[in-house]
Amino acid sequence: MKGQFRLNPPLGIRALVQTRKPKLEQRNERLRVNAPSSITVKDKFLSYCKFHRLRTMISCKSTFHPVTLAVTICYFLIPSVHSADDTYTPGQPVHGDFENFAVTFLENHCYECHDDESTKGDLNLLDLGPADETNAAVWKSVWAQVALGEMPPKKKDQPETIERLQFSDRIVDELKEVMKDKGGFHAHLDPHKGNFIDHNLLFGPLPEGIKLEPTSSPARIWRVTPQEHITRLNELINTEPAFDPEKPGVRTRGDVVPTNHGGELKLYFGTDRIIKWQGGTVAYATSVKSVPVVLASARHHGLENYPDFYTVNSAEATQILGMAENILRYMAYGPLSIANPEQITDDPNSYKMEGDIRGLPTALVYNTKVVRPLTPVYDLMKESEFTDERLRAAVDFLFEALTFRPPSTKESNDYLVMVKDTIAKIGREDGAFMGLSSIFLDRDALFRPELVETGKADEYGRIMLQDWELGLAVNHALRYIKPDQKLREAIVSGKMRTREDVNREITRMLADDAIRKPRILRFFRDFFDHDLGGYICKDEKALSATGVRSRGESHYRAMFDATASTDRLIELILEEDKNVLKELLTTQKVVATKNDNTYFGRKHTDEERKIAIAAKKKAQQEQEEKDAAELKTAKAELDELVAKAKENPDDKKLARTLVQKEKALQSLKKKIANAKKERNRGGGANVEVAEANLSGPKIYARVSRPSFGSGSMKPDRVLATAPEGERMGILTQPSWLVSHSDAMDNHAILRGRWVRERLLGGGVPDVPITVDAMLPDEPNTTLRSRMRVTREKYCWTCHEKMDPLGLPFEMYNHAGIFRTTELSEPVDTSGEIIDSGDPNLDGPVENALDMIQKLAESERVEQVFVRHAFRFWMGRNETLNDAPVLQEAHKAYRDNDGSMKALITSLVTSDAFLHRKAE
Amino acid sequence: MISRRKSLQTIAAGFGAAIGSSMFPEISRAASAASSGGPKRVIFFMQNQGFDPATCIPVGMNSSGSLAKAVLPEPIAALEPFKDKLHIINGLHGKHTSPSHSAFFGALGGYRGSDGVPPSASTIDYELSKVLPETLLPHLCIGMDSMENMTAKPTVANLSARGAGKPIFMHSNPNHLYQMLYGGISQGDIRNQHEARSGMLDRIEKMAAAKGEALPMSDKQRYGEFVQGFNDMNGLRERLGNVSDHLKHFAPEVDERYTKPQFETDWHDTLLDLGISALKSGTTSVLTIGSGRGEIFGAWKGLGIEKQGHNLGHMEQPDNPIWVKIRQYNSRMLVKLMEELESVPEGSGTMMDNTLIVYTSNNADKQHTSGANWPVMLLGNCNGAFKTGCFTQLDGKRPINALYTSILRSTGVEVDRFNMTDKMAAKYDSGNGPLREVLA
Repeated sequence: MKGQFRLNPPLGIRALVQTRKPKLEQRNERLRVNAPSSITVKDKFLSYCKFHRLRTMISCKSTFHPVTLAVTICYFLIPSVHSADDTYTPGQPVHGDFENFAVTFLENHCYECHDDESTKGDLNLLDLGPADETNAAVWKSVWAQVALGEMPPKKKDQPETIERLQFSDRIVDELKEVMKDKGGFHAHLDPHKGNFIDHNLLFGPLPEGIKLEPTSSPARIWRVTPQEHITRLNELINTEPAFDPEKPGVRTRGDVVPTNHGGELKLYFGTDRIIKWQGGTVAYATSVKSVPVVLASARHHGLENYPDFYTVNSAEATQILGMAENILRYMAYGPLSIANPEQITDDPNSYKMEGDIRGLPTALVYNTKVVRPLTPVYDLMKESEFTDERLRAAVDFLFEALTFRPPSTKESNDYLVMVKDTIAKIGREDGAFMGLSSIFLDRDALFRPELVETGKADEYGRIMLQDWELGLAVNHALRYIKPDQKLREAIVSGKMRTREDVNREITRMLADDAIRKPRILRFFRDFFDHDLGGYICKDEKALSATGVRSRGESHYRAMFDATASTDRLIELILEEDKNVLKELLTTQKVVATKNDNTYFGRKHTDEERKIAIAAKKKAQQEQEEKDAAELKTAKAELDELVAKAKENPDDKKLARTLVQKEKALQSLKKKIANAKKERNRGGGANVEVAEANLSGPKIYARVSRPSFGSGSMKPDRVLATAPEGERMGILTQPSWLVSHSDAMDNHAILRGRWVRERLLGGGVPDVPITVDAMLPDEPNTTLRSRMRVTREKYCWTCHEKMDPLGLPFEMYNHAGIFRTTELSEPVDTSGEIIDSGDPNLDGPVENALDMIQKLAESERVEQVFVRHAFRFWMGRNETLNDAPVLQEAHKAYRDNDGSMKALITSLVTSDAFLHRKAE
Repeated sequence: MISRRKSLQTIAAGFGAAIGSSMFPEISRAASAASSGGPKRVIFFMQNQGFDPATCIPVGMNSSGSLAKAVLPEPIAALEPFKDKLHIINGLHGKHTSPSHSAFFGALGGYRGSDGVPPSASTIDYELSKVLPETLLPHLCIGMDSMENMTAKPTVANLSARGAGKPIFMHSNPNHLYQMLYGGISQGDIRNQHEARSGMLDRIEKMAAAKGEALPMSDKQRYGEFVQGFNDMNGLRERLGNVSDHLKHFAPEVDERYTKPQFETDWHDTLLDLGISALKSGTTSVLTIGSGRGEIFGAWKGLGIEKQGHNLGHMEQPDNPIWVKIRQYNSRMLVKLMEELESVPEGSGTMMDNTLIVYTSNNADKQHTSGANWPVMLLGNCNGAFKTGCFTQLDGKRPINALYTSILRSTGVEVDRFNMTDKMAAKYDSGNGPLREVLA
């Protein structure tokens, strides 16, 4: 059907318009004669065409009366507002020639400003031509402007809703068609374009003429994410602790494997058995065995896991094979696969490390306690002879561990044959490991299928997921590890086939804290993007000026800690499960490390800084004087002892005291020298920041396995209250603020865009390629001042959607520290909510706190949050057909006092989640 | 000596159209195309722990000038006969890469890197492998380390990346690498391993393809890449197998250094041999050598150096007998690379005429460094594309990214910056485009 929209042969828009223009002028002229002045020509013309559609078609064949001819022309040029059954159904192809359709729309709504005479924005649409590879970017831009309602401009006549929707649909269809052999057109699938669907159509009444179809999602395969993959593999070699209700924040089985101290996602081998190592943190990091993540996630990031984003390429497959053999060997032999027998002992001193072996795997000592899971792979490899039974047990175990479902008989047989073949070729041990490694590359170990290959389609062509596909979809909605025993039993006993089955399981799992649900936290990471701070490369000088420690990796590590802290704060709010979004946006709670006293501190004003410097200098002087006095006393005591010792050379006790005093003196000298060195490096009290005093009960955050020796991330936190009047919710946490900053400064545009898209549900078109999106490099000038360039007319159309929403966050510097002044002047934190879609929200705001408070009260913001949750759990953007699902989900959330559990349950039991439709 | 033209003739005669240029495109290109300047292959040699400029700049040479009358310092004296191919560059910087204790991926990426920090973009070696003449295995990474590390952790990824979050593993076990490159022409255990793996991959591919038949159209292309991946893996083995007669001329002898190494340097040598053979046979166009594998450890006991790892980085390098030995060892490797590539005719000259070697460190000038100076040696003028026979002292205001931009430019890629935004450049780069001091 798509093909029929193509012109064959293509005819340029300009040519088409030129041949039609006299007729149109004639048409307009004729209509103008009879039209009352208060009614526009277009209005009259459209209503006439709608009313007389059928009659004019008949008339067209029977007469050439001038008025009838004009109407006939009108019919063919005005978009087909209604399809054959007089309705517009989203997702259904619209019949008719695309080019005529497009030209008419452009002529009615666009050429006035974008033709030969008036090329506003340097765009002449007369030259555009039919969609093709070379002008696809312009067509995409036209689509974005029209879909977002940016064009035609507000002051101009607007197309009817259906006309706008059809035009958007038709451009997308056309671009998909012309780009199908050239990498495809996917922009409409991008989560950043999810808001291109008018929010009011999803949550408000639909205009007459729109008929929705019962919704479903496409049949598909869904590649596992890097985090899922590593967590799945981790299950094979590491035993994570069980959930402890007394320490609910500590990482346990079922939680995701987090990134390490440097932000890298790695699988660690045997770190839970290491009791000694030689060297420091870096030596440890090099000595331990780890393998980095293989599957990549290129997005940066937002909703980063739609099924159509990723595949597995040959480089990744090759690396998975190599990794698989390492894992299998560890499953079989534990640390013995990476260490010598003498390194495995409960007496660390019994293993002598000769010389400097820092950084080597031999520089580690492992205890003898077996803590890894002992699996059928272990059972197999400890046998001297392999039996078919043992081999099959290992195959079946691995298959289910990697794909989360048992193999079919054929799959089991195929892999068994493969393992036996490799054993026959290269011998027992190597052959078993090589053969078993193949299971790591099974399709279902890397992709989760939702193919509905069995099942009966309903009248709309939808098939409901069932059994393993449904069970694994529900499991995946919450979990990274395989289904728990109850869910597994439900699947194999045929009790995962109905909406009620899903409701039963999802309710059970949501109610049980011991069943870890990292996917929910992942949603909040995707929604807030608060986990990017450690990856924002900071200019050292600019970072130092913020008041945080800028040396080495200190700031980056603080940011990875901050991510874990914010994660934990989100979890605490989820535990309450009341008004979740509002709480997230307004909470005064802070999960903090010691470092956070700086990050949650307040930047000194110039005056305060002077006072702090003077106080520090004074304190240092006093310390130096104290040190000097202490040193003098110690020296005097030593001199006295030396003299005594000379007089009493045979006094052994005195001699021993002398040695002790000498050592103590050396130690004191060293301590004083180190303190002086630290002072010279700027250590001591922070003169830049009035540090916060974050205190409260001890809690825990989920952190990586020991990856950096004594410098590894620590789980210890306190649950504190933010300094009064300075913070409000996640958007004012340093983790979020730094994640939305750049090397040198705040990123008000990015922050504003986040608010526009994630809270207000608005869209911002892509930056035109002709725009050199650079702020002037003007040291000692505020960001607000440098952003004056975005207020130029051409830029402001888009920037007014972002900048006034981002600038209120200027109350923090780019390390997230609260400030009252900037460049010695009171900081300007004003902003404005413009054209939000909710008139109650629009208007100026004093600062970020004022703005956030307003947003947190908004029903529209809540609905936008629901839209994002929908995208995350369905793995796709919403369509108009999803409006009932969204409305129901929002209702469930509201009716249950802002419960995330209710929202998730509603989404996961919806048609969009349960039904699939093949193409 | 086997000439490249002869190689092609051998292939053509032996396999006819079944092989053809598409199977071994680089060879056919190399044989038929006249050299037009710019490298056909690039080698990156990254020695860890820093490259102190005093170990490479001739004594008394304080400003840019010709090396013709200069005497190279003892650590790199082996390069004396190759001075006309050498360009010593001092004064690039990598302050933005955080190179203290290694910049890891940032050394070849020109961005911030550190221990445990994943790559934030692709690295220059990978980018070059995409634009240089196509080969069967466009990019080969080998990593040299202590024997314990190479056996316990035969594949690590610290230096090269295909993109953000996409590390490329280094080969450190020469037996595994030999099996991959020459399994099809070997005998005994290696042959058996090769055949077992080929058979297994073949079956996996068939199973993967069968599971793709029922997929919706929208997923077929994406899943097709997965299946194609096996095809590529199998294809590489098959194509290497198909040109086994050709490869036989380049495959190193497997001796006890592979199977019973006395020191780690035995494996370093064999890994280098395999890298050289991949270049000479036209299998690879980019070779990355990570001596110390991008970290701050490593061992060279075969050179009589008992100390290893971290301590080496704490030592001053100039006039230090240990560092003299390591740098001399590197230099001998560089000489071997050049001599081997000179032994193969290509176009009107030799392979070395179309090869660029970049020698530097993933640690800039020393282990604990700010990256204010990042010395580099280039070897090879690539038919006049690069300036050679000289020493260049830069002012420390252009980043290593500018060097990578220069190399990309020499391959015909029109790029002004590599992995550096204009905003970062405003802070870290006083210029734009390639280094005029490097390109002829």
